[in-house]
Amino acid sequence: MRQIIPAIVLLLLSCVSAQAQDSVNVAVAKASPGSNKFAVYGNAEASYISNSAAKGFGEINFKPIFLWRISPRLFIEAEMEIETGGGSADLGLEYANMCYTVNPYLTLHAGRFLPKFGAYRGRLAEGFINRFSSNPTGFGDGGIGASVETGVGALGALPFGDIKILYDCYVVNGPHLLTDTLNAGQFDYEAYTANNNSLAVGGRIAIVPLAASNLELGFSFQHKAKTGDAGTENENVSLDMQAVDLNWYQNISALQSTLRITGELRHQKTGANAAYLAADGVTKYLFANSPRAWYLSGSLRPALVDNTFFRNLEFAYRYSNYKRPVNAPWGGAAVTSNEFAVDYWLHWNSLIKLAYQSKSDEPKTFYASVVFGF
Amino acid sequence: MKKILIIFAVFSIVILATSLLTGCYVSAKVANKSGAQLWGENCNRCHNAPAPGELNNDNWDIVGTHMQIRANLTKTDVEKITDFLKSANN
Repeated sequence: MRQIIPAIVLLLLSCVSAQAQDSVNVAVAKASPGSNKFAVYGNAEASYISNSAAKGFGEINFKPIFLWRISPRLFIEAEMEIETGGGSADLGLEYANMCYTVNPYLTLHAGRFLPKFGAYRGRLAEGFINRFSSNPTGFGDGGIGASVETGVGALGALPFGDIKILYDCYVVNGPHLLTDTLNAGQFDYEAYTANNNSLAVGGRIAIVPLAASNLELGFSFQHKAKTGDAGTENENVSLDMQAVDLNWYQNISALQSTLRITGELRHQKTGANAAYLAADGVTKYLFANSPRAWYLSGSLRPALVDNTFFRNLEFAYRYSNYKRPVNAPWGGAAVTSNEFAVDYWLHWNSLIKLAYQSKSDEPKTFYASVVFGF
Repeated sequence: MKKILIIFAVFSIVILATSLLTGCYVSAKVANKSGAQLWGENCNRCHNAPAPGELNNDNWDIVGTHMQIRANLTKTDVEKITDFLKSANN
């Protein structure tokens, strides 16, 4: 029944599409002579890291995004990611998403995509959008929440008067439960293939309640009934995830500045029937596995002043908190992080970031990074 | 979890039923917004707004479609914004 609900929603959306005023032009798009409907955009990032344990230039990221608008209805987007953080050049397919615009209010898509689970991953985490050189604790590697998924989905926006409702729903392979000694109870959120016969169902509903479109509030969820590898004793371990997110900005005339507040809370609960093997290879154990992560970030940019130098400056602060399972091999006490950043914008999508991070389980760290959007 | 799924489904059905009855509509205040105003409002919700003239007309169409999908922009808003951004090239 649970996996039928998205199908019902899709069916209803299709009904709407029949009545909606369809302004999508199915004719071949008018293009300039010689144009090929293809473009490459993306960003590159390089960082310097300094703390009491290590100093040096960190990983280099190069992330081209390939966009192909085949027709007004057919669109492909794909991102390749080349990273050096692991000590060698790692090449990955971040996403490859094929989209079909049914009508102005509904787009169907299939492939590997960034699910709208919260607003950080897939949108606000982009190098030229994130004001910091790192992720909030609990939102990056080793954290929680949906990341990249393979499957099908539907998305769109519905205007009602002054407000807009944004929706996404999807059926995907979903996360894989990890059971190795170091990561028992964690999940692989970026698996390329399915690990059993269960699919995950998820979605996000957001509201843009103000006519100025400067506030967005979202609620996301994802459910997978079976997350363990097929045939193993943990196959039937379930995973439920929820997230709420906030994104607001406002020009403040008195300060001649733009204030931006973003935040997100993620929570997930793993089924209580999981059992893991201890390092001795014999003893089995289990633990309550309900981690939670959240962050709140604020930035101020004097974007309305005349002086070009000050106009391109931005000051940001972020607090993040990651409550891990106490008895998990990757768990322990809650991790908190305070981060301060001063950014200088070189272009609308290119900037220099200077950030200082004070994290409860790591040495205090200074980051300097440069991001070029292209 | 079952409750959440039911709430999500009911919420979706209410939205869709409402749109079936009334059709998706915008207020006069929103309908009268110019492409320039929508460009400032919608782009800045996530990132700095790119300047008109930054890309050619074909690439604005490509980027507009990308942003419609990535940020759930409405088709009407995307069309008005891309028309505004293209105007610098004409």
